[in-house]
Amino acid sequence: MDDALEIPSSDLKNVPTAEEPQDDQNSDDEEGGLDWTKLLPASARPVIPKRGEKEFEPRGAGGTNLQQHVLDRSRSAMFETLKSQRTISSKSVSYGTWYPSLGRTHVTTARGIHFSNMGHSAPRSVLGEDGVSKVQKRLELLPEEALYLIERGSLFCWYDRGTEPRIPDLPKDVDGTPMSVQQAFTEMIGRDGLTLEKFQVYSYLKRLGYVVTRTDPPDSYYPIPSDTGETSTHGHINLPVFTSIYSFLTSSISNVLRIVMGSMNWWKPIRIGRLWCASNKSYASLYRSLRFMPAGHNIPLNTRQPSEPTSPYKLFFNLYKPSTPFKKSAPPPPDFQIVVVNARTTPMPTLQELTNLFDQVPESPLPAPRPRRNLQPEGKEKSSPSETPTTPLKADVKAVSILQRFFLWFSPQTPKTEPTEPVRRINPFMALKTGKKIVIIAAVDTGNISFFRFGQGEFTEWSMA
Amino acid sequence: MSLITPSSRGKGSGTQQKAGGRRAENNRIYAHPLPLLFVDPPKTRMTSVLGLLGLSLTRVENPHCEGVFDPITRSVWVSKPEHSTILWRRGFFGKGDLSRSEPSWLARQINIKKNGGKQLTSEEVREKRRAERKQFKLDRAKAIAAVAEEAEKIFAEEGRVIAPALSGPNIPSAATWKPSPKPQPTEAETPEASEEPIPLVDLEPLEDVEHLQLTLQEAFFLLWNLDCLTVLDPDTLSPMPIKEIWLAFQRSELPPSISICVSGEDLQFDNPFLVNYVVYHHYRSLGWVIKGGIKFCVDYLLYKRGPVFAHAELALVVLPVYEDPADQKASNLDLQNSSPFAWSWLSTINRVNSQVQKTLVLVYVTIPARSRVPLKALQSPSCFSYYSIREVVLRRFIPARMRD
Repeated sequence: MDDALEIPSSDLKNVPTAEEPQDDQNSDDEEGGLDWTKLLPASARPVIPKRGEKEFEPRGAGGTNLQQHVLDRSRSAMFETLKSQRTISSKSVSYGTWYPSLGRTHVTTARGIHFSNMGHSAPRSVLGEDGVSKVQKRLELLPEEALYLIERGSLFCWYDRGTEPRIPDLPKDVDGTPMSVQQAFTEMIGRDGLTLEKFQVYSYLKRLGYVVTRTDPPDSYYPIPSDTGETSTHGHINLPVFTSIYSFLTSSISNVLRIVMGSMNWWKPIRIGRLWCASNKSYASLYRSLRFMPAGHNIPLNTRQPSEPTSPYKLFFNLYKPSTPFKKSAPPPPDFQIVVVNARTTPMPTLQELTNLFDQVPESPLPAPRPRRNLQPEGKEKSSPSETPTTPLKADVKAVSILQRFFLWFSPQTPKTEPTEPVRRINPFMALKTGKKIVIIAAVDTGNISFFRFGQGEFTEWSMA
Repeated sequence: MSLITPSSRGKGSGTQQKAGGRRAENNRIYAHPLPLLFVDPPKTRMTSVLGLLGLSLTRVENPHCEGVFDPITRSVWVSKPEHSTILWRRGFFGKGDLSRSEPSWLARQINIKKNGGKQLTSEEVREKRRAERKQFKLDRAKAIAAVAEEAEKIFAEEGRVIAPALSGPNIPSAATWKPSPKPQPTEAETPEASEEPIPLVDLEPLEDVEHLQLTLQEAFFLLWNLDCLTVLDPDTLSPMPIKEIWLAFQRSELPPSISICVSGEDLQFDNPFLVNYVVYHHYRSLGWVIKGGIKFCVDYLLYKRGPVFAHAELALVVLPVYEDPADQKASNLDLQNSSPFAWSWLSTINRVNSQVQKTLVLVYVTIPARSRVPLKALQSPSCFSYYSIREVVLRRFIPARMRD
């Protein structure tokens, strides 16, 4: 059903509606080929086997007559579909002029809903009717935006001949020469950091309905996520450092002290049974005292970087889900941020590159709704199992006499035990698998896009013991 | 799932009861996450008085296992069955050298002699499952071929195109297919077959030739932190002191040098033993059971509680990172994955692991720069404080499914 959205077509009616049952479980769903027989007119549409099922067993050499027939039919349906001429209605097409000197396309006639989230306004000096140049705001498209619209047949583009721009009287009264799609590709790829890989990622995401903007503004008029987003980014960078340093200190304060003070006997790191302390003789405390290996993303990275100024790992696109309310002039903080690399020429990011990326990304909250949904019905049905773990604790506390509590209060080990146990009822596996900060890297291998999400893991915060 | 123990099963009739019974039994057998036991003395007035003072008489019981260091296989061999049982059941340390994980060779042999004991070992369960799976595929292929043949016939005779069903009531699927009852041996053969195994049982008792193999990381974790393993010198079979073990374990990973340096000048920070130990210790200390992951193109797998309780959900790839790239160039070791690998390889291992419902975790371990830390630090485990671990969780991002 996702393929339906990817089919390049200027006419929405051509898009086959999702008739197949959704099988989101099938991971190959979005990777299977197009079923071209579907694009035939409904009257001529043949009955075809459901896509995704393959015949398991090879039969004969080169397939049987029936298989050959079915294959031929599908193939000719594809050719028929591709052969048909693509047309645009003159009422729905937009017009624009590509200014090679600027690297921007000035939209002279904007039609359709695309411009609700594409293009930005830029003040340019134009020649008025009276021959005096004045500054006027106009709608401009970035190279990828113009190219995407041209490719899908929504924009007709003229090539600026280099004369002083002037206010067009009529939409078609443009000073320039018409551009072909091929010319648009050669002109616009390579401008403003747009590589072919980036354009492929851009158009793929756009066809899926995402709103895609640049992370780094290509010019000063380009709207970027409002300052709230900016400051929150900075705030987020500082905040977790404090909290995690705090938690690091509190969770393993004795370990840190042992290492820093040099009192730790490295030949015998764990001393069990020496002390008579009750709190010292349990698996939980044993595991706690084992946690002295330096771990986590907050430890300073001592890597020495060979002078390598240009890393290909830079955040390039901001991504907004189709459901996210998007205002073009004041974009909200993005849902995801994407790096695009060429998988053939670029190896995986180094630790330093990943660290740099994570430093720019705000902390993402855990996807909360899912566990809540699970917990609530359980809590109603089964007399709240989420509370059961806490009740024995309370019982323990009650069993402890006042005198003992008094002593526990004084014994140095007890206070530190509290922060290590997470009070939040979050499935640790979900937290571990999500990560604290998320960067998406799209590795484009000659047209095939693999998206990977790199999550900043925090295993130290979720112990199993 | 413990297969060696003579179990008290056979009472439960339903499968659910059986599964529950097994879980309870696993909880009993594998109750202790580490070889050390904390034994509470019987409750008396004395203990409660001490308890009030924050003191306890809880005894720590140390099993003191024994193993022989084998430098060639870079492992420690635990030959005493009682020791290997303790190390496996309390923390899932090691692997039987003739088994998949738990040393079960003897149990398997006894099963064979008994001509099919009731309690199958995990290896035998797997063999049975594989045979059944093979039969299922054959049956399915046969059914599909039959349907396709029919469609072909209709096409040839009437010119009608029928898509041959690849699933449906006539095609067995993994959910509906059931193994057919075992082909009964013909009655003429039965007496012979039943006669033969009986004398075999009375033959000489089997000797357990299997030993438990501990990786150097596992062995060092046990002996260094918990002091519950004594490692014997392979030549003299006398206990090795910890300082000797520390050097021997490191040297076993290094290319052999002509002269054994007593001063330890031959040691280096990028030793695979040290890098892997840092990872091993880190996840052990967080309560995970960490086992090798070579079957899934990864270095380690993380189990919650242990392999008998649940499948591993996390697969770790250890990625060593030199703090100083000059150290990497100067090193005589080609440390695995120390240079960023290609995207195609990442896709490969991620595909393998997502097939088996595991999440890939890239574990970056920094190797201290020689210019920052003197080589002298390698003389003792204090060098571990200069390494650091960072995790990066990796998953595929599928935009088509993230649209909401």
